Amino acid sequence: MKDSLKLIGSLTAICIVSGALLAFVYDATAARIEAVAQMRIAAAAAQVLPAHDRIDDAIELEHNNRRYFFSPAYRNEKDLVGYAIQFSTSAGYGGEIRMMLGLDIDGMTTGLVILPGHTETPGLGAKITEESFLEAFRDRPITDTNWRVKKDGGDMDEITAATISSRAVADAVMQVAEAFEAHRSTLREGI
Amino acid sequence: MFWKTFTKGLWRENPVLKLVLGMCPVLAVTTSLENALGMGMASTFVLVCSNTVISTIRNIIPEKVRIPCFIVVIATFVTIVDLVMAAFVPDLHDALGIFIPLIVVNCIILGRAEAFASRHPTMLSIVDGLGMGAGFTLALAALGASREIIGSGTLTLWNELTLLQIPTESPVILLILAPGGFIMLGLLLAGMNHFSAWQARRAGKAIPLPATMDCRTCTLCKWGS
Repeated sequence: MKDSLKLIGSLTAICIVSGALLAFVYDATAARIEAVAQMRIAAAAAQVLPAHDRIDDAIELEHNNRRYFFSPAYRNEKDLVGYAIQFSTSAGYGGEIRMMLGLDIDGMTTGLVILPGHTETPGLGAKITEESFLEAFRDRPITDTNWRVKKDGGDMDEITAATISSRAVADAVMQVAEAFEAHRSTLREGI
Repeated sequence: MFWKTFTKGLWRENPVLKLVLGMCPVLAVTTSLENALGMGMASTFVLVCSNTVISTIRNIIPEKVRIPCFIVVIATFVTIVDLVMAAFVPDLHDALGIFIPLIVVNCIILGRAEAFASRHPTMLSIVDGLGMGAGFTLALAALGASREIIGSGTLTLWNELTLLQIPTESPVILLILAPGGFIMLGLLLAGMNHFSAWQARRAGKAIPLPATMDCRTCTLCKWGS
């Protein structure tokens, strides 16, 4: 009995000390981790959206069990210029692919970027991050485009030897278009 | 004493090349020099901290619950590294991904806690952690650099500092894929074995043969003769 109390006591003491230490470190880094995430969204949005000076917190929408984050962007502090839409797919060849699509108030796409952290095959699937693939997604009406890859009867060029990765991106954009169509009324003014 | 403890991690008992421990991160993150160095340093930090704490409290940890105690200590430091990297080097943190939390189950760290830190005084354990960490980092860096040069045709640090650029249109992509990790590690281990054999022969000592090999597959004794 006394022996097991000693075992429990020493392990508990170690856990308490380590818990306290972790609480302290978490507290010290939480704000900065949050700021890094914000900065990354802003940097990606700057790439896909026309000039803007303010981005608001994302409006979260759900469609077909997938979640989409529509962040409204403004110029002159109040004029809506469009939405930066964050979404992801797990239909790629590696793990999850996270993307951001820019959409202006006329419903035209203004750019697509693949966010860092994807695990597509280097040299093959990873070519989805290249401009030669992504430029086809720019300046198209979101609702009147067949976003599928050509192999599936759509308008998007797939990358040679990386059909699965190309298809994953194209299909994900197609689903953004559907989500946008379904939630058009919840998104504010203009669009 | 201290110097010997330090250098044994670099070469004689190098955790990757001699003990062949921790192969999961070794193969997974060595696709580039930067990832390899990041992983090496993160592991070294955890190793030194856990060795320090465990050797300090080694006399008050009851024998029966020592493994859970070691794991709590190691997991604490790994979580600290994870949070700090997410805050200050987010790109490296993304590149290493799941392999940072997985340092908890890296057998090098638990191995050093059990085999060294729980039996030696604090200062010596710190030196052991530094030596083992440095040996791990060096092995990772060697693998990472060779795979990056052949597999991507470049050698870069922090995305901008280009150390080397091979003028080629089509690098051997295989080397940065999973099979390339095995191939490069195999070549590195074979090179190490032959070097050790050559050294032993020069010193006139018997060559330590790999236990699972016989003369049909092994040419070690002919090396350097």
